[in-house]
Amino acid sequence: MLVQLPGGWNPLLGRLALDQIPYDNPILAPLFVAVVVGTILLFGLITYYRKWGYLWKEWLTTVDHKKLGVMYIIIGLVMLFRGFIDGLMIRTQQVWANGPHSSGVFGALHGYLTPFHFGQVYSAHGLIMILLAATPLLVGFMNIIVPIQIGARDMAYPYLNALGLWITAAAAVLIMISLFVGDFAHNGWFGYAPIFELQYSPGVGVDYWIWTLQLTALGTTLGGINLLVTIIKMRAPGMTWFRLPIFVWTSLSANIIALTSFPALQVALGLVAADRYLGSHFFTAGFGGNLMLYTNLFWIWGHPEVYFVILPAFGMMSEIFPTFSEKPLFGYVTMVAASFAIAGVSWMVWLHHFFTMGAGPQVNSFFSVATMLVGIPTGVKVFNWAFTMYRGRITYSAAMLWAIGALFMLLVGGMTGMMLAIPAINYMVHNSVFVIAHFHSMLLVIVYAIFGSVIFWFPKVFGFRLDEYWAKVMFWLFTAGSALVFVPMYMLGFMGMTRRLDYVFNPAWHPYLEVMEVGIAVYCLSVLAFVVLLYVSIRDRVKNRAGADAWGTARSLEWLAHSPVPFYNFAVTPHVNARDELAWRREHGMDALEPERYVDIHMPSNTGMALYIGALTFVLGFGLTWRIWWLSLLSLAAIILLMIIRSFRGDDGYIITGAELERMEKEALRNRAQADGKYVSGGRGQVAGTAIAYGRNGASMGGDPFNSSRDGI
Amino acid sequence: MSHGHSDPVQHPEVQMSSVRGYLSGFLISVLLMLAATYMSATHAFPPFGLLMVITVCAAIATIAQTYFLLHIDTAEHNIWNTVSLVLFIPLFVLTIGLTWWMFSQLYLHTMPAMTGMH
Ligand code: HEM
Ligand SMILES: [Cu+2]
Repeated sequence: MLVQLPGGWNPLLGRLALDQIPYDNPILAPLFVAVVVGTILLFGLITYYRKWGYLWKEWLTTVDHKKLGVMYIIIGLVMLFRGFIDGLMIRTQQVWANGPHSSGVFGALHGYLTPFHFGQVYSAHGLIMILLAATPLLVGFMNIIVPIQIGARDMAYPYLNALGLWITAAAAVLIMISLFVGDFAHNGWFGYAPIFELQYSPGVGVDYWIWTLQLTALGTTLGGINLLVTIIKMRAPGMTWFRLPIFVWTSLSANIIALTSFPALQVALGLVAADRYLGSHFFTAGFGGNLMLYTNLFWIWGHPEVYFVILPAFGMMSEIFPTFSEKPLFGYVTMVAASFAIAGVSWMVWLHHFFTMGAGPQVNSFFSVATMLVGIPTGVKVFNWAFTMYRGRITYSAAMLWAIGALFMLLVGGMTGMMLAIPAINYMVHNSVFVIAHFHSMLLVIVYAIFGSVIFWFPKVFGFRLDEYWAKVMFWLFTAGSALVFVPMYMLGFMGMTRRLDYVFNPAWHPYLEVMEVGIAVYCLSVLAFVVLLYVSIRDRVKNRAGADAWGTARSLEWLAHSPVPFYNFAVTPHVNARDELAWRREHGMDALEPERYVDIHMPSNTGMALYIGALTFVLGFGLTWRIWWLSLLSLAAIILLMIIRSFRGDDGYIITGAELERMEKEALRNRAQADGKYVSGGRGQVAGTAIAYGRNGASMGGDPFNSSRDGI
Repeated sequence: MSHGHSDPVQHPEVQMSSVRGYLSGFLISVLLMLAATYMSATHAFPPFGLLMVITVCAAIATIAQTYFLLHIDTAEHNIWNTVSLVLFIPLFVLTIGLTWWMFSQLYLHTMPAMTGMH
């Protein structure tokens, strides 16, 4: 052992022992029982309905980008809920533990959470919301939508795609396990030196934090590579760069940032791990270490990361506004340029997270100006959206409401961000809840855009629309909740309330804390409304069935495919003629053409390998957390072995013959005719001079996902 | 796509990789890392000299890895690799440069008497 471990360690179980299970904790123990009962119930139901085979074949081993995307989104929603419960706990503790006369239960002097437990709750909340809720939700949408929008058959590397998903799932499981086995970090979501050093955090909490972050970083990087290659290499014929939908552009810019910045995070965490496991001194005060170097490395990733999550949200808004304004997007080229300007500038501003380090006026001014520069391209975007709506024929559908909500949140968050970017102001409010309110406004932009997109693209994936009424009820409840929670939070920030307080000393703040608690209650109602929304929509799914163009006014290529999109996306790869292809085809009467001839297509086969490797990365993370060396080595060796096996075996894929394809297409078209009542049978290959509906040599012109999967990548 | 894609081994990017290339990339990085570790463990040079030597080792390792393992160069059939190189260099200079700048300023303002030590 290179480091002095407090507490026991044995070769077989590492630091794991029975007393690490918090069975005497009055909150966790009942929760644990509920989880076990729920799991048994779920497994029982699956067995009873004999769904294991279906689950295995259709979901667990799938390499279909749409199903993987749906699973990403499910993970994201589950983690969003978990993070929300953490948020509820934080708010409840603060309103309860306010003032010297507040009562305390469960061993806490004030409130119901001990400081030790409270620290874990807010650390988990932040980490989960940014990396395991927002990120998977966005990656899920990019996964589903980008390939269809560019007319590809699948992602460039279908197997790598599955691998990214299962590694992300492993990270989610790892952080959930920390609830019941051991404890979690209390160093905040981004960590501080030296509190995360072994000396000051002797438990396994920080180790859980390190390996959860490492796994999400790995999963997201793999996903990012895949999306980049897909966008560059797999575009349908005619889909030139300046015909790409804006969502594709923002995905491209976002993933460039992800690919270039995530390694910085992995290095930072690797060095923390070296300190904790090998006894090095990168971030200790003694022995030549440097505490602020950690903060520096973290935010080199951290700031680009926040733009990694906001850019796809901008893309989503750019798809929703034109559809429900019945106008093309205003300022397409400036929108593209703005996305890349934001991505570029996001690389040079990271010091604004630690202006108070004291690097002096020159450095602070440079980063202050750089930060404020972001406002220019962001402003361009806001005006573009406004001009898109200006004189448009606006329908206030639920998706549109969510997108408009996102726009308002962006204004609030952007303005307060500008304030924080001024060092003189920053010194006053740094580490206050004003900062918390700022970035929650920003992250709410993402949440709004995501719920808008859930409604917007739901019919594309599942073939029926969500219920408009309940979607709007949810929107208004959510908006009321946001206002009630975050307006008082901005005010408290100005009054000097610092972040992460397990005990709020000033009784004068009580009214504000109470209003925030009411806001959380309203948020709870909006969660309920979401459940009702799903229930009602699934109940009425036949009535709400959607045609290919679910909204009647959609513009981009994905709306040309059937709803739900078949596993092969487009039977024959379409030829793209214009920027808003569907709108163009609608104008030229080509939006419901049937191809003349179907040719064989080549598809990648399912594989359980990604699932196995994902599961092993979880075991590896768990083994490392608890310092069970044999388990870590074994799982690492197994991962490497499986990768080698996979690369030698490759994937030959399988062929869907033209005849089969024709049969499936006929069926899909029949359903579609019922849903939207228009389609031309026996379409012409060519209309109106240079316009082409489908390339003549069909499938082989588009991307062929099989090709890249062959190398075992 | 200009080249046929029935046989992935024919792809120019695949053609570029060879056992020898990968092995040399791997060996060079491992050797440099071992050397750096050994030198810091034994304090083979005075602190500032050590810093310089390790930096040089890291630079050589970085170049060896980008060339041998990632095949990032300026070859024509490898246009996207060149693009990533062009993107990477400014980012590299920015992060290292700005970090260096902010920390030298920090030391200047917080521990004026000790600047020489770092
Ligand atoms: C108009 C653009 C923006 C500006 C000028 C801006 C400015 C800032 C500044 C100066 C801080 C540091 C505050 C402090 O700690 O004293 C900050 C924190 C933060 N911002 Fe922004 N921001 C912008 C956009 C965003 C976006 C788009 C997001 C995410 C979607 C975001 C998320 C965050 C987060 C997560 C933190 C704090 C993290 C923490 O301390 O835990 N910001 N922002
Ligand atoms: Cu930032």
